[in-house]
Amino acid sequence: MKKFFQIALGVIAAIGGFVDIGELVFNTQAGADFRYTLLWAVPVGVIGIVVFAEMTGRIATVSGRPIFDVVRMRMGLNVALVTLVASLLINLITLAAEVGGAAIVLQLLFDVNVSTLILLAVVALVLIVYFVPFGGIERIFGYLGCGLLVYVAAAIHLKPDWHQLASGLLPSWHSSALYAYFVVGVIGAALIPYEVYFYSSGAIEDRWKIGDLNLNRANAILGFTLGGILSIALMVVAGEVFFAPQVHPGYLGTTALGAERAYGEAGLLLALLGMLFAVGGAAVECAFSGAYTLAQFAGWEWGKYRRPRDAPRFTLAWLIFFALAFVVVETGVDPVLLTEYAVILSVVALPLTYLPALLVARDKTFMGDHANGILANAVGWLYFVIILVVSVAAIPLLLVTDGGAV
Amino acid sequence: MTPDHMDLVYRVLDDQLVDVDGRRCGRVDDLEFDGGPGEQPRLSAILSGSGMWHRRMPRVLRTAGARIFGTGVLGEDVIRVPWEQVGDITSTLRLKAKATELGLAQGDEEAARFVRKFPKS
Repeated sequence: MKKFFQIALGVIAAIGGFVDIGELVFNTQAGADFRYTLLWAVPVGVIGIVVFAEMTGRIATVSGRPIFDVVRMRMGLNVALVTLVASLLINLITLAAEVGGAAIVLQLLFDVNVSTLILLAVVALVLIVYFVPFGGIERIFGYLGCGLLVYVAAAIHLKPDWHQLASGLLPSWHSSALYAYFVVGVIGAALIPYEVYFYSSGAIEDRWKIGDLNLNRANAILGFTLGGILSIALMVVAGEVFFAPQVHPGYLGTTALGAERAYGEAGLLLALLGMLFAVGGAAVECAFSGAYTLAQFAGWEWGKYRRPRDAPRFTLAWLIFFALAFVVVETGVDPVLLTEYAVILSVVALPLTYLPALLVARDKTFMGDHANGILANAVGWLYFVIILVVSVAAIPLLLVTDGGAV
Repeated sequence: MTPDHMDLVYRVLDDQLVDVDGRRCGRVDDLEFDGGPGEQPRLSAILSGSGMWHRRMPRVLRTAGARIFGTGVLGEDVIRVPWEQVGDITSTLRLKAKATELGLAQGDEEAARFVRKFPKS
């Protein structure tokens, strides 16, 4: 029974922790511009993150190696160094976007100067991360991020055309660069690598043992899949509310209006609180992911389970990440624009972390009886091809569509 | 590969070093061998530290790499750990001594002096 509750709590935290500013931006814009015709891209991305996260969680549990340890060990110094630099840059951009997103939501709630709210958001996040244990951080943001479930209720309440919605879940193609850009964006938002860095390192923070492999499977499959339903709901609500009047939600606050249409002020408040904790949680994951990658690459002591003085460079690394993100957001750069760049750039760098994870997950030398079976290998390689195609297409599409503006 | 042979590049190079207390204290950034031409090479030490990185970079990047990560000064940006100090080789390389005794994790020692001033550190 204890195990069941542990799994259930982990899954709930994963649902709330799945959606971040990437999904809030890309899925809402995709629904507003293309209604239901991009829905199929969500399960493509979600299955990808399930495969990737399950593999990295299993590697961490069985071999004690977090993802960046695997990258360094399997790909060697030079490729790992390129991956490190790319990951740190993407993590910083994403962290700045999440912090900026949190400040925008706070401004909608309290109508205070945004610059003050950015400072408030960063200080609050730093204090939570410093003083609350790892499990508590996961739960605070994961559970409260479940406020976004209002979008699932709203998607049903708004009475969508179920036949059209089901058709949207079948892969289709439009000969438009903008459509292709959003396909890449929606898949990329689901597959954003910091989630996997965090998930894999979290398996070691939580001291998972072989007996926890079912917990890993449940968290990855149920948590991310149910989180994917949230992503679909965001797109459906945007399709219902913004598609017909041709509203392009370029402002994060616009996303919350979909919930307001369904449930009035209560819906708006729930959506804003859900968004606040979703982006806040994602900000924490980004800062940690930056520190994890740096520490694991260089071999420093790391982990929130260590006292700050016992993992001092790791502690300073996540603090510096928050400080840098604060500086970036205070320049006044648009968090939505930052999000788009972060998602597209992370798609480009994705194969560099996915490939070593796949190579180690199938290697019996490291994984013994827990190495990938035939099915896991087939799905793993299929997704490697999908990730390669998406990563090659990402930058040209970003340029051709001017970041989705045309 | 027979059971008494090991692929050093696959199983040792770039691996995590862990000291006798279980503390992570660097990576295997290079390997040092004894033996001259015509002799059997013998693994004598592991080298850990960013000062070794430039030597493993593509030739055109080595000068820039040395400027950024260090030139490989023993005791400063590179620490030599005699192979005799390596105990277990599992998913990490477990050392037989404390990191501080081997000169490893100096960066952590310096950073810890600052972090100790934080509340509840």
